[in-house]
Amino acid sequence: MSKESPTMQNYKGSAVPNNIIPIFILLISFCSNPVISGADTSPPLTHKLSPVKESWTAPGIRLKNMDGEVIDIKDLKGKVIIVNFWATWCPPCRREMSSLEDLYQETSNKGVDVIAVNIGEDPDAVFPFLGNLEAYPSFQIVFDAEALLMDQWRVQGLPTTFIINKDGKVIYKAVGGREFNHPLMRQKIMELTK
Amino acid sequence: MNHKMFMIILAFGLIASSFGTYFAKEPRLVKGSAVGQTVTVDGDTGVITWSTTSSGVYFALKQLLPIQVMAFYLKRGFSDSQIEPYTQSCVFMAVLRNDSAPGPIHFISNNWPVDVKGQLHRPLSVNQWVDLLSTTEVKKSALIAFRWAQFPIEQQYEPGGDWNQGMISVGLKAGSQFTLLAKWDVKGKPYHAKLQGVSCAK
Repeated sequence: MSKESPTMQNYKGSAVPNNIIPIFILLISFCSNPVISGADTSPPLTHKLSPVKESWTAPGIRLKNMDGEVIDIKDLKGKVIIVNFWATWCPPCRREMSSLEDLYQETSNKGVDVIAVNIGEDPDAVFPFLGNLEAYPSFQIVFDAEALLMDQWRVQGLPTTFIINKDGKVIYKAVGGREFNHPLMRQKIMELTK
Repeated sequence: MNHKMFMIILAFGLIASSFGTYFAKEPRLVKGSAVGQTVTVDGDTGVITWSTTSSGVYFALKQLLPIQVMAFYLKRGFSDSQIEPYTQSCVFMAVLRNDSAPGPIHFISNNWPVDVKGQLHRPLSVNQWVDLLSTTEVKKSALIAFRWAQFPIEQQYEPGGDWNQGMISVGLKAGSQFTLLAKWDVKGKPYHAKLQGVSCAK
Protein backbone atom coordinates (compact mmCIF):
# COMPACT_ATOMS: atom_id res chain seq x y z
CA MET A 1 0.00 0.00 0.00
CA SER A 2 2.86 2.34 -0.66
CA LYS A 3 1.17 3.92 -3.63
CA GLU A 4 -0.79 7.01 -2.63
CA SER A 5 -3.94 8.03 -4.45
CA PRO A 6 -3.63 10.91 -6.92
CA THR A 7 -5.75 13.08 -4.65
CA MET A 8 -3.46 12.64 -1.71
CA GLN A 9 -0.44 13.29 -3.91
CA ASN A 10 -1.93 16.59 -4.94
CA TYR A 11 -2.10 17.66 -1.28
CA LYS A 12 1.42 16.52 -0.52
CA GLY A 13 3.52 19.28 0.96
CA SER A 14 0.61 21.09 2.64
CA ALA A 15 0.06 20.78 6.40
CA VAL A 16 -3.66 21.50 6.08
CA PRO A 17 -5.32 18.65 4.14
CA ASN A 18 -4.61 15.80 6.55
CA ASN A 19 -6.40 17.71 9.30
CA ILE A 20 -9.18 19.19 7.24
CA ILE A 21 -10.46 16.04 5.53
CA PRO A 22 -11.66 14.46 8.79
CA ILE A 23 -13.23 17.81 9.77
CA PHE A 24 -15.13 17.89 6.46
CA ILE A 25 -16.39 14.36 7.06
CA LEU A 26 -17.53 15.31 10.57
CA LEU A 27 -19.26 18.46 9.29
CA ILE A 28 -21.08 16.58 6.55
CA SER A 29 -22.31 13.89 8.95
CA PHE A 30 -23.29 16.59 11.48
CA CYS A 31 -25.39 18.46 8.93
CA SER A 32 -27.06 15.41 7.44
CA ASN A 33 -28.09 13.70 10.71
CA PRO A 34 -31.89 14.08 10.91
CA VAL A 35 -31.96 13.53 14.67
CA ILE A 36 -29.42 16.25 15.38
CA SER A 37 -31.13 18.63 12.97
CA GLY A 38 -34.37 18.32 14.90
CA ALA A 39 -36.41 16.68 12.16
CA ASP A 40 -37.28 13.76 14.48
CA THR A 41 -39.39 14.95 17.38
CA SER A 42 -40.70 11.54 18.49
CA PRO A 43 -40.95 10.98 22.25
CA PRO A 44 -38.13 8.99 23.85
CA LEU A 45 -38.63 5.29 24.49
CA THR A 46 -38.51 4.12 28.10
CA HIS A 47 -37.75 0.67 29.54
CA LYS A 48 -40.59 0.42 32.06
CA LEU A 49 -42.62 -2.77 32.37
CA SER A 50 -45.78 -2.30 34.42
CA PRO A 51 -47.04 -5.20 36.54
CA VAL A 52 -50.65 -6.05 35.71
CA LYS A 53 -52.92 -5.67 38.75
CA GLU A 54 -54.27 -9.20 38.55
CA SER A 55 -52.38 -11.63 36.36
CA TRP A 56 -54.52 -13.39 33.77
CA THR A 57 -54.04 -16.50 31.68
CA ALA A 58 -52.49 -15.64 28.34
CA PRO A 59 -54.97 -16.21 25.48
CA GLY A 60 -53.94 -18.57 22.72
CA ILE A 61 -51.94 -17.62 19.66
CA ARG A 62 -51.95 -19.99 16.71
CA LEU A 63 -50.93 -18.17 13.55
CA LYS A 64 -48.73 -18.56 10.50
CA ASN A 65 -45.21 -17.14 10.48
CA MET A 66 -43.18 -15.58 7.63
CA ASP A 67 -42.65 -19.03 6.09
CA GLY A 68 -46.30 -20.07 6.34
CA GLU A 69 -45.65 -22.45 9.25
CA VAL A 70 -48.18 -22.51 12.08
CA ILE A 71 -46.76 -21.25 15.37
CA ASP A 72 -48.63 -22.15 18.55
CA ILE A 73 -47.84 -20.37 21.80
CA LYS A 74 -48.74 -23.61 23.62
CA ASP A 75 -45.51 -25.11 22.30
CA LEU A 76 -43.55 -22.56 24.34
CA LYS A 77 -45.04 -23.69 27.66
CA GLY A 78 -42.56 -23.38 30.52
CA LYS A 79 -40.72 -20.44 28.95
CA VAL A 80 -40.98 -16.75 29.68
CA ILE A 81 -42.68 -15.34 26.58
CA ILE A 82 -42.68 -11.80 25.27
CA VAL A 83 -45.70 -11.13 23.04
CA ASN A 84 -45.46 -7.94 21.00
CA PHE A 85 -48.34 -6.58 18.89
CA TRP A 86 -47.14 -4.40 16.04
CA ALA A 87 -47.45 -3.20 12.43
CA THR A 88 -44.96 -1.75 9.97
CA TRP A 89 -46.98 1.47 9.64
CA CYS A 90 -46.76 2.14 13.40
CA PRO A 91 -43.71 4.40 14.04
CA PRO A 92 -42.99 3.32 17.65
CA CYS A 93 -43.35 -0.34 16.60
CA ARG A 94 -40.64 0.24 14.02
CA ARG A 95 -38.42 2.02 16.52
CA GLU A 96 -38.51 -0.76 19.11
CA MET A 97 -38.10 -3.75 16.77
CA SER A 98 -34.29 -3.79 16.72
CA SER A 99 -34.10 -3.61 20.51
CA LEU A 100 -36.49 -6.55 20.72
CA GLU A 101 -34.11 -8.55 18.57
CA ASP A 102 -31.20 -7.53 20.84
CA LEU A 103 -33.14 -8.77 23.86
CA TYR A 104 -33.99 -12.02 22.09
CA GLN A 105 -30.36 -12.59 21.14
CA GLU A 106 -29.29 -12.12 24.75
CA THR A 107 -31.99 -14.25 26.40
CA SER A 108 -33.23 -16.89 23.93
CA ASN A 109 -30.86 -19.55 25.27
CA LYS A 110 -31.89 -18.74 28.84
CA GLY A 111 -35.55 -19.68 28.71
CA VAL A 112 -37.03 -16.59 27.03
CA ASP A 113 -38.92 -16.50 23.74
CA VAL A 114 -40.45 -13.73 21.65
CA ILE A 115 -43.52 -13.75 19.40
CA ALA A 116 -44.25 -10.60 17.42
CA VAL A 117 -47.86 -10.54 16.22
CA ASN A 118 -48.27 -8.39 13.15
CA ILE A 119 -51.68 -6.80 12.77
CA GLY A 120 -53.47 -6.56 9.42
CA GLU A 121 -50.52 -7.14 7.09
CA ASP A 122 -48.94 -10.04 5.25
CA PRO A 123 -45.37 -11.35 4.74
CA ASP A 124 -44.99 -9.44 1.46
CA ALA A 125 -45.68 -6.14 3.24
CA VAL A 126 -43.49 -6.93 6.23
CA PHE A 127 -40.44 -8.39 4.49
CA PRO A 128 -39.04 -5.09 3.09
CA PHE A 129 -39.24 -3.46 6.53
CA LEU A 130 -37.47 -6.37 8.23
CA GLY A 131 -34.79 -6.36 5.57
CA ASN A 132 -33.94 -2.77 6.39
CA LEU A 133 -33.37 -3.42 10.09
CA GLU A 134 -29.83 -3.59 11.44
CA ALA A 135 -30.38 -7.26 12.18
CA TYR A 136 -33.16 -9.34 10.61
CA PRO A 137 -35.34 -10.57 13.52
CA SER A 138 -34.62 -14.17 14.46
CA PHE A 139 -37.70 -14.49 16.68
CA GLN A 140 -41.08 -15.60 15.35
CA ILE A 141 -43.19 -13.06 13.50
CA VAL A 142 -46.77 -14.24 13.03
CA PHE A 143 -49.68 -12.69 11.13
CA ASP A 144 -53.08 -11.78 12.51
CA ALA A 145 -54.46 -10.47 9.22
CA GLU A 146 -57.96 -9.87 10.61
CA ALA A 147 -56.77 -8.33 13.91
CA LEU A 148 -58.82 -10.95 15.76
CA LEU A 149 -56.41 -11.22 18.70
CA MET A 150 -56.67 -7.56 19.65
CA ASP A 151 -59.85 -8.06 21.71
CA GLN A 152 -58.74 -11.36 23.21
CA TRP A 153 -55.48 -9.79 24.39
CA ARG A 154 -57.15 -6.50 25.41
CA VAL A 155 -54.95 -4.47 23.08
CA GLN A 156 -56.19 -0.90 22.58
CA GLY A 157 -53.25 0.62 20.74
CA LEU A 158 -50.03 -0.35 18.96
CA PRO A 159 -47.48 -1.32 19.99
CA THR A 160 -48.46 -3.25 23.10
CA THR A 161 -46.23 -5.86 24.70
CA PHE A 162 -47.05 -8.51 27.28
CA ILE A 163 -44.67 -10.58 29.40
CA ILE A 164 -45.91 -14.06 30.25
CA ASN A 165 -44.37 -16.05 33.07
CA LYS A 166 -43.48 -19.75 33.00
CA ASP A 167 -46.99 -20.60 34.27
CA GLY A 168 -48.63 -18.96 31.26
CA LYS A 169 -49.87 -15.89 33.14
CA VAL A 170 -49.62 -12.33 31.83
CA ILE A 171 -47.77 -10.44 34.53
CA TYR A 172 -46.26 -7.36 32.85
CA LYS A 173 -47.57 -5.02 30.18
CA ALA A 174 -46.01 -2.17 28.23
CA VAL A 175 -48.16 0.22 26.18
CA GLY A 176 -46.21 2.17 23.57
CA GLY A 177 -42.68 1.79 22.27
CA ARG A 178 -39.95 0.49 24.55
CA GLU A 179 -36.19 0.14 24.67
CA PHE A 180 -36.11 -3.63 25.09
CA ASN A 181 -32.33 -3.88 25.15
CA HIS A 182 -32.04 -1.75 28.28
CA PRO A 183 -30.19 -3.65 31.06
CA LEU A 184 -33.01 -3.08 33.58
CA MET A 185 -35.56 -4.47 31.14
CA ARG A 186 -33.39 -7.55 30.56
CA GLN A 187 -32.83 -7.99 34.28
CA LYS A 188 -36.57 -7.90 35.01
CA ILE A 189 -37.28 -10.51 32.36
CA MET A 190 -34.41 -12.76 33.41
CA GLU A 191 -35.72 -12.76 37.00
CA LEU A 192 -38.82 -14.53 35.69
CA THR A 193 -36.77 -17.43 34.36
CA LYS A 194 -35.52 -18.39 37.86
CA MET B 1 -4.36 32.58 -3.11
CA ASN B 2 -2.18 29.71 -1.94
CA HIS B 3 -3.48 26.22 -1.27
CA LYS B 4 -3.41 26.48 2.51
CA MET B 5 -5.31 29.77 2.55
CA PHE B 6 -7.96 28.36 0.19
CA MET B 7 -8.54 25.34 2.42
CA ILE B 8 -8.90 27.49 5.54
CA ILE B 9 -11.47 29.78 3.87
CA LEU B 10 -13.34 26.75 2.57
CA ALA B 11 -13.42 25.26 6.07
CA PHE B 12 -14.79 28.48 7.58
CA GLY B 13 -17.39 28.66 4.84
CA LEU B 14 -18.53 25.13 5.53
CA ILE B 15 -18.68 25.70 9.27
CA ALA B 16 -20.77 28.86 8.79
CA SER B 17 -23.15 27.18 6.38
CA SER B 18 -23.45 24.09 8.57
CA PHE B 19 -24.48 26.24 11.54
CA GLY B 20 -27.03 27.98 9.34
CA THR B 21 -28.45 24.65 8.27
CA TYR B 22 -28.43 23.36 11.83
CA PHE B 23 -30.43 26.23 13.25
CA ALA B 24 -32.79 26.43 10.31
CA LYS B 25 -33.84 22.81 10.83
CA GLU B 26 -34.16 23.05 14.60
CA PRO B 27 -37.85 23.20 15.66
CA ARG B 28 -38.61 26.87 16.26
CA LEU B 29 -40.50 28.08 19.32
CA VAL B 30 -43.40 30.35 18.38
CA LYS B 31 -43.95 33.48 20.49
CA GLY B 32 -47.33 34.32 21.92
CA SER B 33 -48.47 30.76 22.56
CA ALA B 34 -50.77 30.08 25.52
CA VAL B 35 -49.30 29.75 29.00
CA GLY B 36 -47.97 26.28 29.73
CA GLN B 37 -47.92 25.11 26.14
CA THR B 38 -45.11 24.94 23.63
CA VAL B 39 -45.54 25.57 19.93
CA THR B 40 -42.78 24.52 17.57
CA VAL B 41 -42.43 24.75 13.83
CA ASP B 42 -40.45 22.12 11.96
CA GLY B 43 -37.73 23.91 10.02
CA ASP B 44 -37.94 21.48 7.12
CA THR B 45 -41.69 21.12 6.56
CA GLY B 46 -43.27 24.08 8.35
CA VAL B 47 -45.48 21.61 10.23
CA ILE B 48 -46.55 22.93 13.66
CA THR B 49 -46.64 20.93 16.90
CA TRP B 50 -48.50 22.07 20.01
CA SER B 51 -47.55 20.36 23.27
CA THR B 52 -48.04 20.69 26.99
CA THR B 53 -47.40 18.76 30.18
CA SER B 54 -50.07 18.67 32.86
CA SER B 55 -50.03 16.72 36.14
CA GLY B 56 -47.24 14.47 34.84
CA VAL B 57 -48.90 13.76 31.48
CA TYR B 58 -47.43 14.93 28.16
CA PHE B 59 -49.88 15.76 25.39
CA ALA B 60 -49.06 16.89 21.85
CA LEU B 61 -50.81 17.51 18.57
CA LYS B 62 -48.70 17.62 15.43
CA GLN B 63 -50.19 18.87 12.16
CA LEU B 64 -50.41 16.36 9.36
CA LEU B 65 -50.64 17.72 5.87
CA PRO B 66 -53.54 16.26 3.83
CA ILE B 67 -50.99 15.00 1.30
CA GLN B 68 -49.13 13.13 4.08
CA VAL B 69 -52.34 11.48 5.28
CA MET B 70 -53.25 10.61 1.70
CA ALA B 71 -49.84 9.04 1.03
CA PHE B 72 -50.03 6.99 4.22
CA TYR B 73 -53.42 5.48 3.39
CA LEU B 74 -52.76 4.96 -0.32
CA LYS B 75 -49.89 2.75 0.80
CA ARG B 76 -52.29 0.83 3.07
CA GLY B 77 -54.63 -0.02 0.17
CA PHE B 78 -57.16 2.83 0.01
CA SER B 79 -57.84 4.59 -3.28
CA ASP B 80 -57.53 8.39 -3.26
CA SER B 81 -61.29 8.88 -3.60
CA GLN B 82 -61.99 6.47 -0.75
CA ILE B 83 -59.73 8.20 1.74
CA GLU B 84 -60.07 11.80 0.56
CA PRO B 85 -62.88 12.75 3.01
CA TYR B 86 -60.64 11.74 5.88
CA THR B 87 -57.57 13.53 4.52
CA GLN B 88 -59.61 16.76 4.30
CA SER B 89 -60.92 16.51 7.87
CA CYS B 90 -58.00 18.23 9.67
CA VAL B 91 -55.92 15.33 10.91
CA PHE B 92 -53.25 15.52 13.61
CA MET B 93 -50.78 13.09 15.10
CA ALA B 94 -51.68 12.95 18.78
CA VAL B 95 -49.29 11.78 21.49
CA LEU B 96 -50.28 11.17 25.10
CA ARG B 97 -47.75 9.82 27.58
CA ASN B 98 -48.01 9.15 31.30
CA ASP B 99 -44.61 10.20 32.61
CA SER B 100 -45.38 10.81 36.26
CA ALA B 101 -49.12 11.09 36.96
CA PRO B 102 -50.14 10.12 40.51
CA GLY B 103 -51.37 6.76 39.17
CA PRO B 104 -52.57 4.99 36.04
CA ILE B 105 -54.51 7.34 33.79
CA HIS B 106 -57.66 6.29 31.96
CA PHE B 107 -59.25 8.17 29.07
CA ILE B 108 -61.91 7.96 26.38
CA SER B 109 -60.72 10.16 23.53
CA ASN B 110 -64.20 10.50 21.99
CA ASN B 111 -65.04 12.62 25.06
CA TRP B 112 -62.39 15.23 24.37
CA PRO B 113 -64.13 18.54 23.60
CA VAL B 114 -63.11 20.59 20.58
CA ASP B 115 -63.92 24.29 21.03
CA VAL B 116 -64.20 26.53 17.97
CA LYS B 117 -64.72 30.21 18.87
CA GLY B 118 -66.62 29.26 22.03
CA GLN B 119 -68.81 26.69 20.29
CA LEU B 120 -68.49 23.00 21.12
CA HIS B 121 -67.66 21.05 17.97
CA ARG B 122 -68.20 17.29 17.80
CA PRO B 123 -65.87 15.53 15.32
CA LEU B 124 -66.71 12.09 13.95
CA SER B 125 -65.50 9.31 16.21
CA VAL B 126 -63.10 6.61 15.03
CA ASN B 127 -65.96 4.11 14.80
CA GLN B 128 -68.03 6.56 12.75
CA TRP B 129 -65.11 6.99 10.35
CA VAL B 130 -64.69 3.21 10.08
CA ASP B 131 -68.43 2.87 9.32
CA LEU B 132 -68.24 5.65 6.74
CA LEU B 133 -65.26 4.09 4.99
CA SER B 134 -66.70 0.57 5.20
CA THR B 135 -69.60 1.48 2.93
CA THR B 136 -67.28 1.71 -0.06
CA GLU B 137 -65.17 -0.94 -1.80
CA VAL B 138 -62.37 -0.65 0.71
CA LYS B 139 -60.06 -3.60 1.33
CA LYS B 140 -60.33 -5.16 4.77
CA SER B 141 -56.59 -4.81 5.36
CA ALA B 142 -56.86 -1.08 4.62
CA LEU B 143 -59.70 -0.71 7.13
CA ILE B 144 -57.72 -2.57 9.79
CA ALA B 145 -54.76 -0.27 9.21
CA PHE B 146 -57.07 2.74 9.39
CA ARG B 147 -58.66 1.60 12.65
CA TRP B 148 -55.37 0.88 14.42
CA ALA B 149 -53.49 3.90 13.07
CA GLN B 150 -55.98 6.13 14.88
CA PHE B 151 -55.28 7.40 18.37
CA PRO B 152 -56.81 4.90 20.85
CA ILE B 153 -60.51 5.33 21.55
CA GLU B 154 -60.06 4.20 25.15
CA GLN B 155 -56.84 3.41 26.95
CA GLN B 156 -55.07 3.17 30.28
CA TYR B 157 -51.45 4.24 30.79
CA GLU B 158 -49.32 3.35 33.78
CA PRO B 159 -46.87 6.01 35.03
CA GLY B 160 -43.28 5.68 33.83
CA GLY B 161 -43.80 6.01 30.13
CA ASP B 162 -46.89 4.20 28.82
CA TRP B 163 -47.96 6.09 25.71
CA ASN B 164 -49.45 5.98 22.24
CA GLN B 165 -49.29 8.05 19.15
CA GLY B 166 -52.02 7.98 16.57
CA MET B 167 -54.05 10.01 14.13
CA ILE B 168 -56.92 12.13 15.34
CA SER B 169 -59.40 13.97 13.11
CA VAL B 170 -61.12 17.12 14.35
CA GLY B 171 -63.42 17.50 11.34
CA LEU B 172 -62.66 21.15 10.54
CA LYS B 173 -61.67 23.01 7.39
CA ALA B 174 -58.04 23.77 6.52
CA GLY B 175 -56.71 26.71 8.51
CA SER B 176 -59.44 26.50 11.21
CA GLN B 177 -58.38 27.27 14.78
CA PHE B 178 -59.61 25.44 17.86
CA THR B 179 -58.91 24.50 21.46
CA LEU B 180 -58.74 20.84 22.44
CA LEU B 181 -59.07 19.52 25.96
CA ALA B 182 -57.54 16.08 26.55
CA LYS B 183 -59.31 14.61 29.57
CA TRP B 184 -58.36 11.63 31.72
CA ASP B 185 -58.91 10.42 35.23
CA VAL B 186 -56.71 8.92 37.91
CA LYS B 187 -58.70 6.70 40.27
CA GLY B 188 -61.85 8.60 39.32
CA LYS B 189 -60.35 12.07 39.83
CA PRO B 190 -60.55 14.16 36.64
CA TYR B 191 -57.54 15.84 35.04
CA HIS B 192 -57.01 17.59 31.73
CA ALA B 193 -54.48 19.19 29.42
CA LYS B 194 -55.53 22.07 27.19
CA LEU B 195 -54.02 23.04 23.84
CA GLN B 196 -55.17 26.45 22.60
CA GLY B 197 -54.89 28.15 19.24
CA VAL B 198 -54.30 24.89 17.42
CA SER B 199 -54.73 25.28 13.67
CA CYS B 200 -55.50 22.81 10.91
CA ALA B 201 -52.80 22.44 8.28
CA LYS B 202 -53.47 24.29 5.02
